[in-house]
Amino acid sequence: MVQAMTEPVLALENVSKHFGPVVALADMTLALLPGEVHAVVGENGAGKSTMIKIMTGVHAPTSGRVLVDGREVSFAGTRAAREAGVAAIFQEPMVFPDLDVAENIFISATGLGLVQNRAALRARARALIGRLGMALDVERIASGLTLAEQQAVEIARALSQDVRVLIMDEPTASLSAHEAGELRRIARQLADEGVAVVYISHRLEEIFEVAHRVTVIRDGAHISTRKVDEVTPDSLIAEMVGREVGNFFAKAPSTATAEVVLSVAGLACEGAFSGVSFDLHRGEVLAMAGLIGARRTDVGLALFGIHPATAGKVTWKGRPYAPRNAADAIAAGIAYVSEDRRKLGLAMPMPIFANITLATLDKVLSRFGLVQRGREREVAEGHRRRLNIRAPDVGVAVGNLSGGNQQKVMLAKWLEMKPDLLIFDEPTRGIDVGAKAEVHDLIRDFAAAGGAVIVISSDLPEVLALGDRILVMREGRQTGILSHDEADQEAIMRLATGAQPARAA
Amino acid sequence: MMIKTLSPQAIRLLALIAVLVLVLAFFASQIDNYFNARLFTRISTSVAIMAIIACAQTIVMLARQIDLSVGSITGFTAFAAGSLIAQYPGLGGVPLALYAMVIGAGFGLVNGVIVAWLRVPAIIVTLATMAIFRSLLVEFSGAKSITTASLPEWLTRFPNTVLFRVGALEFRAVVVLAVAVVVAVYLVLAFLRPARRLYAVGSNPEAAEMAGINQRLVILLAFVASGALAGLAGFIFLARFGNITVVAGLGFELKSVAAAVVGGVSINGGSGSVLGALVGAVLVDTIDQSLVRWPLVSEFWREAVLGLLILLAVAADAVLGRRLMAMRIRREREKRA
Repeated sequence: MVQAMTEPVLALENVSKHFGPVVALADMTLALLPGEVHAVVGENGAGKSTMIKIMTGVHAPTSGRVLVDGREVSFAGTRAAREAGVAAIFQEPMVFPDLDVAENIFISATGLGLVQNRAALRARARALIGRLGMALDVERIASGLTLAEQQAVEIARALSQDVRVLIMDEPTASLSAHEAGELRRIARQLADEGVAVVYISHRLEEIFEVAHRVTVIRDGAHISTRKVDEVTPDSLIAEMVGREVGNFFAKAPSTATAEVVLSVAGLACEGAFSGVSFDLHRGEVLAMAGLIGARRTDVGLALFGIHPATAGKVTWKGRPYAPRNAADAIAAGIAYVSEDRRKLGLAMPMPIFANITLATLDKVLSRFGLVQRGREREVAEGHRRRLNIRAPDVGVAVGNLSGGNQQKVMLAKWLEMKPDLLIFDEPTRGIDVGAKAEVHDLIRDFAAAGGAVIVISSDLPEVLALGDRILVMREGRQTGILSHDEADQEAIMRLATGAQPARAA
Repeated sequence: MMIKTLSPQAIRLLALIAVLVLVLAFFASQIDNYFNARLFTRISTSVAIMAIIACAQTIVMLARQIDLSVGSITGFTAFAAGSLIAQYPGLGGVPLALYAMVIGAGFGLVNGVIVAWLRVPAIIVTLATMAIFRSLLVEFSGAKSITTASLPEWLTRFPNTVLFRVGALEFRAVVVLAVAVVVAVYLVLAFLRPARRLYAVGSNPEAAEMAGINQRLVILLAFVASGALAGLAGFIFLARFGNITVVAGLGFELKSVAAAVVGGVSINGGSGSVLGALVGAVLVDTIDQSLVRWPLVSEFWREAVLGLLILLAVAADAVLGRRLMAMRIRREREKRA
């Protein structure tokens, strides 16, 4: 099927992409042959998204060359990439909810004349959908389609524009098993028709079913490209996580006690996750690991009452606990530090002190219900010194701080509440190594002082550095709990990718 | 089963017509001698101007924008056309209408450039231009008014010309013109491929960008079209009322949004049609006109009834939208199971 002599239709040569000081892609090299399904695997943050964005013309590379049919190109935008025959479909499809299927496919097509001939359009749409082997009424409005059907619409749109390279980014992450199988069949069929299909997936078993070749990328760089029959799940995982020792953080000793403060049994939230069960001890840090889409955040939000669970039993400090909203959780002494600092956590234009006291405002109110500025600043100043928030004084707007310092302000806000359980979602995403170590210390200090902590993290070294125990999830299911001694990157990745069947925890 | 084959939009339109019939039946039961030829004439001529402005508003709303300056554009163009024809009484009707439309399109261009290229939200931009265009009118007119006496007779006679009769109902030229404009815009939006991109941009701007649609151009053209239609409305306004002061067209912006929203045009863009906006305008006006004759309600309440109607329409849309979402989620779950 894939001939060694074929010329790549699209190739990246030593492509790098920097965002300010952050290197998202370093010397990436990849060659896509017509007629192959080329799987790309890598950990969260390995650079897959950046690579897609360069291939589809969203970003221009900082250095290196992009070649189409051996000729160097520089896409001025997504449109230019489309015209060169490069298209991408994502986990969340890009359709027009108010238009019908046929129009969705042909909305930006050229050469169809000025007047819309609906009958002809629908006939062509039917032919394309039929070519994909799908049954889909082309007159239906897109807002009523399932995700799988919307993806089919997107693929049909790409086909209508004579696609030569089709990038599928986690296409099956939200699909049922049957739908995912259909999509893999379509990927294979398009390759047979001569399209180069890039297939990005966290599900390793899927890759062995669909791909001809597989490329591993790590830390923004190309690690290996092999034929799929030359690799095994274990060899892929080893290459995905293989890291230099210097990147590891040392694990601090556990301060867990024997006292169980939180006990979760069979927790589920319809449409998100199910079967989550664990005990959390006073002084313990439980890390939740998994790949993006494993639904770990949903578990955190259920415990915090934002998206209440629909089944299961939670016992908190010996009493049944079923929060209906965040206020319930806060009243119970549970705090949740969001992964999305901008959207959920901080009021960016407001000063540090106002952000810190926002959730506990009644502590700084005078008898007449007015805010005592002096008291507010005093409280904030204490946190600033203790957490080492780098700002000249606490009147600075949070929006002007670095990511790491913003994270510390957020942590201060919740620590001020004096919670007994801290749920920390991606505590160090996007902050530098120094600040990372400081945040880790703060989490450990909180646990050592008798608090219980759940850390949700996609960063494996962080999971290993913080977690006294590690709960691994995969696609809404708990696939295992590892003690720190039995956990290493390979073991976690095996549970997270499904390379190893789930077992009782 | 019939209902399944109809698009949600068609159902919405039929429901609206049913509401209109109910409203008419209600007032007929309350007001003696409610149905007569004069009712038809009164409502139809009054709706004619608003129908065109609602049509303009709809075009902009489909692209997920809003145009609050339509009333000021209507007023300005009415005055400008009035001054021109007073100076050159020999000018024909078509050049005069075109003159009003070109001025309106120019104003629309200003709105469009600021919204599409400077990326300022349309509600802010057109709130500002609403005031600016109105002030231009005051400046331009020197606070003087145009009076019927300064207009040629053919112009003031035009709106009242009866083109044809159906039984006792008179169809006047201004009504036929308004309906023709709405139908023409409807056909353009439904069948011209470039116009479909208006729906695409309003429906999902991100996907439009990914599909290689020039969003800015689409938004710009929507504002230009809206301005041109408001200019046409200005021309009809001049012909119908003859007396133009600096307050001409004041309040039209909100009435046009009301008509469009009641007519099923989504404020989130991408869905709705100018036919809906037309029926919405008729409904709003019918209620407005009928309440005047209903002794039980003081006329101060007319505004409140209009407000209530808008709330009902928007709430109905929101409920309907959530139902559709819930249906989709159920379908997905069934498929998974």
